[in-house]
Amino acid sequence: MTAPQSGRHLLGALGTVVVGAVVVVGVSGLLRVLAAVPPTLRARPVGVVQTAVGPLTRASLTLSTYPDSLAGEHGSGGGAHPGWVSYGPTTNLWVPAHALVTVTIRNYDGATTLTDPFYGRVQGTVGGVEWVNGRATRGVPAAQVAHTFTIHMFPTPGQPLLDVSVPLPGVPASTPVGADGYPAPTVVTFQFRTGASGRYIWQCEDPCGTRVGGFGGPMSTQGYMTGTLVVGHG
Amino acid sequence: MASRWWSQSVLTGVPMGVVTALVAALLTRAIGGPSASDAAICIGFVGWAFGFLGGMGAFRYPRTLLLARPDPTAEEEHQLAVQGGGPWRYFRFTTDHKVVGIQYLVLGLVLFAVGGLAAMLIRLELLRPGAAAFPPATYNTIVGLHGIIMIAGTIIMITGPFGNFVVPIMIGARDMAFPRLNALSFWLLFTAVPVLLCAPFLGGFPTGWTSYAPLADQAPPGMDAFLVTILLFGGSVAVAGANIVTTAITMRAPGMTWTRLPIFVWGAAMTASTLGLMVFPAFMAAMVLLGLDRTLGTSFYVASGGGSAWLYDNLFWLMGHPEVYVIAIPAFAVIMELLPVFSRKPLFGYRTAVASTTAIVGLSVLVWAHHMFVTGWAPQLNGPFMLTTEMISIPTGVVFLVAVGTLWRGRIWLTVPMLFVLSFLWNFVIGGMTGLYLADVPTDYQLHGSLFVTAHFHYTLMGGALMGFFAAFYYWFPKMTGRMLNETLGRIHFWVTQVAFNVTFLAMFYVGLQGMPRRVADYSAQFAAGNFVASIGAFVLGAAMLVFAYNIVSSWLRGQRAPSNPWHAKTLEWQVPTPVPLENFEETPVITSWPYDYGAPEPTPEGAAERAPA
Repeated sequence: MTAPQSGRHLLGALGTVVVGAVVVVGVSGLLRVLAAVPPTLRARPVGVVQTAVGPLTRASLTLSTYPDSLAGEHGSGGGAHPGWVSYGPTTNLWVPAHALVTVTIRNYDGATTLTDPFYGRVQGTVGGVEWVNGRATRGVPAAQVAHTFTIHMFPTPGQPLLDVSVPLPGVPASTPVGADGYPAPTVVTFQFRTGASGRYIWQCEDPCGTRVGGFGGPMSTQGYMTGTLVVGHG
Repeated sequence: MASRWWSQSVLTGVPMGVVTALVAALLTRAIGGPSASDAAICIGFVGWAFGFLGGMGAFRYPRTLLLARPDPTAEEEHQLAVQGGGPWRYFRFTTDHKVVGIQYLVLGLVLFAVGGLAAMLIRLELLRPGAAAFPPATYNTIVGLHGIIMIAGTIIMITGPFGNFVVPIMIGARDMAFPRLNALSFWLLFTAVPVLLCAPFLGGFPTGWTSYAPLADQAPPGMDAFLVTILLFGGSVAVAGANIVTTAITMRAPGMTWTRLPIFVWGAAMTASTLGLMVFPAFMAAMVLLGLDRTLGTSFYVASGGGSAWLYDNLFWLMGHPEVYVIAIPAFAVIMELLPVFSRKPLFGYRTAVASTTAIVGLSVLVWAHHMFVTGWAPQLNGPFMLTTEMISIPTGVVFLVAVGTLWRGRIWLTVPMLFVLSFLWNFVIGGMTGLYLADVPTDYQLHGSLFVTAHFHYTLMGGALMGFFAAFYYWFPKMTGRMLNETLGRIHFWVTQVAFNVTFLAMFYVGLQGMPRRVADYSAQFAAGNFVASIGAFVLGAAMLVFAYNIVSSWLRGQRAPSNPWHAKTLEWQVPTPVPLENFEETPVITSWPYDYGAPEPTPEGAAERAPA
């Protein structure tokens, strides 16, 4: 092979590598756009509160759980799966580090018996309790649970464990349906403390999804019954 | 017989396939109602395959048989093999084994390109913790697509192109035993590709390529696309395997005794294809049961309905581990075929090599449960399965002995194919040795489910088998295309691949030993450094593959014309002209010696023609 031929081949190969890199980046960007990552709901700091462990930033989050996807981030049409149960207004959450976070969840859905009664117990909250319609409780019988809010993550060095799990009691079947198409919700409130920054996954552990065992569809899809929780600064 | 250029080609196959798919799906949905959506998807995809094959003219001959019409004339058979000549014959139901070989080669490369793109996306996501390039569900589907595409690609990468193109010529045959089945095997494989690529648009499949139950029972409709893909792919492998084995048994030229059979024919055609024929039905059966679970509400794999996920595990791994050898043995065969050529020495221990590959095949069907040590299934069998798995290292070691014995005191000719032969030996040793830890019950308990496993099987399948494919590709490309691949680009491809591959997967061993689990879209910060190195290595590896792609295209279009026997090899495919004539030989050759009598002190063309036509 002559020198000009060799140079031409090397240039051609280099060009192919550049084109390949552009394709990878392009496909990656396209997938990111198509995948429609849920927006993030930020819990804004609202002052400082004195606690048993010292002063902590106070913040609050308000979420809802619906028996369908018509009222959350998927719009009134329900998006691709209007019949799927969902959390709203979004499933990607942000809370401040070193904070006392108060979470209020309005559950509009009926009960589905837990596969594992373990998730009927309140864990990791301040005082080990949640308030259901204003009444403190340490757990809910498995048959009365509609959904759970359970934070998971394997420990990362420097990232504290955030072992929070609360059951959300279902709305009784006899509850009348309101003008918005949903029954009056069960209101669950709980508090937990955050430590240093970290990233966590949370999801529902009640078999409220589709297919075998109730763990398909929304149970494994972000934007429905699972999402992320970022603990951060700023 | 087809008279118009576009008839009975992909131009008629695709529209017929799409229409049949839509009709089948809509009918199923109309009959079964909304609850039959999974059934509609499955039946729609099966309809696509039948419609496509019908549009390609694949059913003309079966129809002739069923209607008791006269057999096709010799002229019609000739027309079916030629299909008008020119490039368009590659898009038709052409029966010439050389055309089918090229079709397999190109489709295999396309599969590798798509699977490689998925690999780049995976490493992009894992570049740093919390990268979040994609949502987890998208990541899972990308991992699943990468896995199944690469597994399918590596299964066909040697027996498909070279088994079809080279084996008949190597044994002195004019074509395969069943030319129509040969074309059918390729086009059946072709139908599986769009079905699989539909999966992401149907919600993807979160299971990875292993499609474990009961997760597969719970998965979105993309899982239906996956299971139909496996059924189509399994059908293609069965048809191809039966054809290749029958060809090797019945079509050998006079004098081509079993002990004169080229080692590549032994490995790829006899042992690997037989193994594929035996084990793939288990995977197909697993998918049929999964399909019944998903469409008809059976509970073969659902414990609450009386089923068992262990049933799936067993069916899957009954195929899954032997399948590793369906991939690896053809690569072993390539290595043993090329070593005498580039060492200019007879193959060391020919009969031992045949016996060893046969032993590997026999043992490979007795090891499947080592993948299930941690599942709790039959713990009393952990010991026996550990033993059978470790026993398989004995015949594998013998194959290495054959390779090293052939190299010993040879006049090593370091061509690009030979470089890949040597890299196979290096990488496969690492893959094999690390496999021992996974065969051993106590260490497997620690390493199972970690990236150590991922690194191990990439060392065997990519570092080993894929390097065998590259060796075969550089070796037979001149015969298949009439062009030489560019040597400089070939060496760049080799060195960058070899370095980047080892960087990537040694880093993966490291994070696996640290405890990083596989199949995760995100990971703990403690694994950041290893993953960063693995991702950079993977990107460089991707660049090496693009150099290879450029070399293929530029050489195929404008490369130096290849002489008929550029390697001065002695097997029959190098004794026929390039391009190879339609029926390979003017006269049936008579074989008088085995193909590895390399005794010349240096590579010379004079040593090439050992045998002459009768």
